[in-house]
Amino acid sequence: MASTVIGAGITIEGEVSADDEIVVQGTIRGKLEAREGVTVEAGGVVEADIVSGPLTVAGSITGNITSSDRVDLQSGARVVGNVKATRITIADGAQFKGNVDMDV
Amino acid sequence: MALLTVIGRGVRIRGRVTGEADLTIEGHVEGEVAVSGDVTIEAGGLVGANVSGRVIVVRGAVRGDLTGEELVRLEEGSRVVGDLRAPRIDIAKGGLVRGLVQTSGSVGAARPAARARADAPAIRRAPAPAAARPAPAPAPAPVRAAPAPTKAAATVARPTPAAAPARHAAKGPPPPVVPALKKGAKAALKKKAT
Amino acid sequence: MAQTRSPSPASRHGAAHASPAVIGAGTRIRGRLTGDGDVTILGHLEGGVQVRGELFIGEGGRVVSDVDAGALRVAGVLEGDVSVTGDIAMLAGARVRGDLHGAHVSLEEGADFEGRLDCEFDLPSELGTAATTTHARSARR
Repeated sequence: MASTVIGAGITIEGEVSADDEIVVQGTIRGKLEAREGVTVEAGGVVEADIVSGPLTVAGSITGNITSSDRVDLQSGARVVGNVKATRITIADGAQFKGNVDMDV
Repeated sequence: MALLTVIGRGVRIRGRVTGEADLTIEGHVEGEVAVSGDVTIEAGGLVGANVSGRVIVVRGAVRGDLTGEELVRLEEGSRVVGDLRAPRIDIAKGGLVRGLVQTSGSVGAARPAARARADAPAIRRAPAPAAARPAPAPAPAPVRAAPAPTKAAATVARPTPAAAPARHAAKGPPPPVVPALKKGAKAALKKKAT
Repeated sequence: MAQTRSPSPASRHGAAHASPAVIGAGTRIRGRLTGDGDVTILGHLEGGVQVRGELFIGEGGRVVSDVDAGALRVAGVLEGDVSVTGDIAMLAGARVRGDLHGAHVSLEEGADFEGRLDCEFDLPSELGTAATTTHARSARR
């Protein structure tokens, strides 16, 4: 399936649900559900609770994250919210504030 | 060059999509779409929203009004229930449409703010008149006090908790911009007078 | 057969297979025109048009009337409501005002049109029922 790219100039306010992978370079506010996986690139902003497969963050997330897989915070990432995942990595240079629950 | 956003086939969005970019919709969008770039609704794409953009090309299905700054094109296989407004409109023989169609500079009449301020996407105007209006308008609008200054490039300043009512407000098409702004102006003048 | 009849195309009857009627550029008609075949209007007609075949309004042609036809092609001016069983084509340079009802409508870029288009079709069920649109539109106005 084609992946979805929310480009840098785009803002979505509302609920997003996807059967395929989503790459966020722009802004999503509301709710995000992407079973396959989510990548929030540098410059991407997600102000929403996220339910996803694997999640990779280099941008900003404000909201609770529930992942069925791993969550990777890359350098430059800024995450405020609780994270529930099977695995989590927080790279040097990533900022994180919240609880981590790895009990799946 | 406007950046490209692709809303893939398996994606469903309920809400507002705004910004300064080109947009390709292969999935399902309900709510409102207002971008400054080009909008392409691919075959199989489903849009239950008013759409405004520069060049709008439809190959899928739309329930909503299409307002193009330059062109609205309905290609073979497209189905549109809604109004079309653009200086140039192209409907291929296989394109099906039910609604009002206006070429010939009527874009100005329909959405004056969109023409007057080419740099700010039309949707930014939508919450503003709701704010200027008295009580009947739904809750999310109060966040915005002054419509004109808020011309931020990509993001709309709204607190997340208001996202849910904002969606409902956005689903109702925005009222005509000009009269609402005039109402606000009058109220402001009255306040100054007293 | 048709060639031996009266030269006025407006009074042609039952000549469906004959050469199409042409209202020349210098002709003005005030009244109803009916035709069993195709009709081409290059002049000016005001009143009513009922054509079983295709009505073609050429560049420079001007029709101010409702149109009832089998098919319609417009390159000139048309002001009036249109009901067509077949296809409607608005060509670049056309200027059309009115509500159009036909099986298929095509509008070339460069055509000037203001009015309603009404094709018969259904949207995919995911996009809801007509009630949504009506409500939305009336709220808009």
